[in-house]
Amino acid sequence: MVELAVFFVFAAVAVIFALVVILHRNPVVSALSLVASFFALAVMYVLLEAPFLAALQVIVYAGAIMVLFLFVIMLLNLQHQREETTRPIQQALGYVFSAAFGIGLIFYLIKYAWIRAEQTTPFNSDARAIGIRLFEAYVFPFEMVSILLLAAIVGALLLSQRTDLRGRPTTGVDHPSGQNPEGAAASPRTGQPSFDAGQPSPAAASRRADPHHEGAK
Amino acid sequence: MIPEPLMRYLVWPTVKFLVAFVIVQVVVAAMTYIERRVLAFMQARLGPNRVGPWGLFQAIADPVKLMLKEDIVPANAEKVGYFLGPMLPLIPAFVVFCLIPFGPPPTFVVTHVNVGLLLILALTSTGVYGIILGGWASNNKFSLMGGLRSAAQMVSYEVPFGLSIVGVLMLTGSFDLVRIVRYQESHAWNVLPQLVGCFIFLVAMTAENNRAPFDLPEAESELVAGFHTEYSGMKFAFYFLAEYAAMLVNSCLMVSLFFGGWSLGGVIMGRQVGLTTVNLQHLGLLGGVIGATIFLVKVMLFMVAYIWFRGTFPRFRFDQFMDLGLKWMIPLSLVNIVVTGILILAGAGTRYPAMGEVVLTLFGIVVIAAVILFLMKGPKPKARPAGVAHARRVSEV
Repeated sequence: MVELAVFFVFAAVAVIFALVVILHRNPVVSALSLVASFFALAVMYVLLEAPFLAALQVIVYAGAIMVLFLFVIMLLNLQHQREETTRPIQQALGYVFSAAFGIGLIFYLIKYAWIRAEQTTPFNSDARAIGIRLFEAYVFPFEMVSILLLAAIVGALLLSQRTDLRGRPTTGVDHPSGQNPEGAAASPRTGQPSFDAGQPSPAAASRRADPHHEGAK
Repeated sequence: MIPEPLMRYLVWPTVKFLVAFVIVQVVVAAMTYIERRVLAFMQARLGPNRVGPWGLFQAIADPVKLMLKEDIVPANAEKVGYFLGPMLPLIPAFVVFCLIPFGPPPTFVVTHVNVGLLLILALTSTGVYGIILGGWASNNKFSLMGGLRSAAQMVSYEVPFGLSIVGVLMLTGSFDLVRIVRYQESHAWNVLPQLVGCFIFLVAMTAENNRAPFDLPEAESELVAGFHTEYSGMKFAFYFLAEYAAMLVNSCLMVSLFFGGWSLGGVIMGRQVGLTTVNLQHLGLLGGVIGATIFLVKVMLFMVAYIWFRGTFPRFRFDQFMDLGLKWMIPLSLVNIVVTGILILAGAGTRYPAMGEVVLTLFGIVVIAAVILFLMKGPKPKARPAGVAHARRVSEV
């Protein structure tokens, strides 16, 4: 009875916030609504007696992924952006396919929603059971996903890589200003003028020349 | 008479929540005074000593001042976000207190969830939304930078924070904080076999709470006041409260996971020695109070450690700080997990099951000693970067 009430309240919360995600103009509001929707979903897991999954849902999605999403949205400052439709054919195709998908979804919901679920064996969802499932039955998909994530990391590194004046990759971290003002003359590793390279950097040269200036004056 | 489900789902949670709320309020009020006095002591100053005996009533004067202050809302702020910002971090910070066992069960354990530790991690990780939202909604460059830094910091230190706990979970085999504390009675405090994990947890929890030396989101030398630049009065106090509540949560976790929780003693040769859970439970309510007092004393030691850090370490530069998290803390915690796993398996097969933990303790001592030696050697002397050389040339002319 109470479970049912809790379910309907949080189902409503999940659906309403999911609608806000796609309907609201402001991307920040959309992202935060998605977080609220995730929380409602976590409540569903608790009602299914899978508190481990509920905690993971909140840690992974609400705690980590959506923070990064919000980070990027705020960094790009995407607020109140309206895009004019420039591709009418693609837009029409999008409508057609999503309509087809929606009709199919409704068809299957009507077909299967009223079948009474059979009482199965108690669903074991503690960390041990999930770990054993993940590393025995589903080890191949698990490894594939890890390779996919590795590829994403490498791709992100490649896209965000900075290069110096000669096109060599630099980390852009060691030097406080991000890029090296004396690009070619300094080693990218330490941002340190390479005196042993045969051609001293202008700053170092003038520093050495300063006493002569003083003497000349 | 109130029907049973209503009691179970509405009345008791509310009562427990209110108790947690009051406890946090009192501790935070005390902490504002303790922090200022301890910090003053470390800096050879007096600190607040005017309001009441030894300045004790400062803890009351500060909140009163904050409540009476004018509440200024910037004209161009995103209103809803600006109001939600200070409230969001408070909710998880208070809810989490219902999940922490303050004393021996059943009296002082508010809710007993078998994935308690995971739920605490889940809830604390959402506290950052308020900071991000407040920083963004203030419509101020400094606030935004503070919020962004906070997001980057939380996400990158969440990983070593979680990974440092995994070693404890492998030893105890449970997410349940009560069982973790009981395990430490029958073995040793987890700080010994998990010295590396404890060290990483200590660093990561300081970073998670935006406390010095990791208080980059509110670095006053760079960002005015960071994410709460535009907040005044009670809204600022809410951020303040949330930060201290989160500090308290992390100190409670530290004590429960690594320092034996409410117990002071252990099971030696099958006999209960000292203030163990069983002995405390024999004492009834008095035992509960003693256990909770021990717990609180341990927690306050870590709260003072936070202040000690603040009084000791200079603030990190942002890139150094990210390097520390991503290049040192995460690999170190992964190594800790692998070594812990190997030694548990190696010890389980032999006649001496404690051997794995003894070797783990030695491993921890070696790693910490290596880190200390590495730090004492200091960084390689670098030549002055080119940009600074230019500044010097100007000054010499």
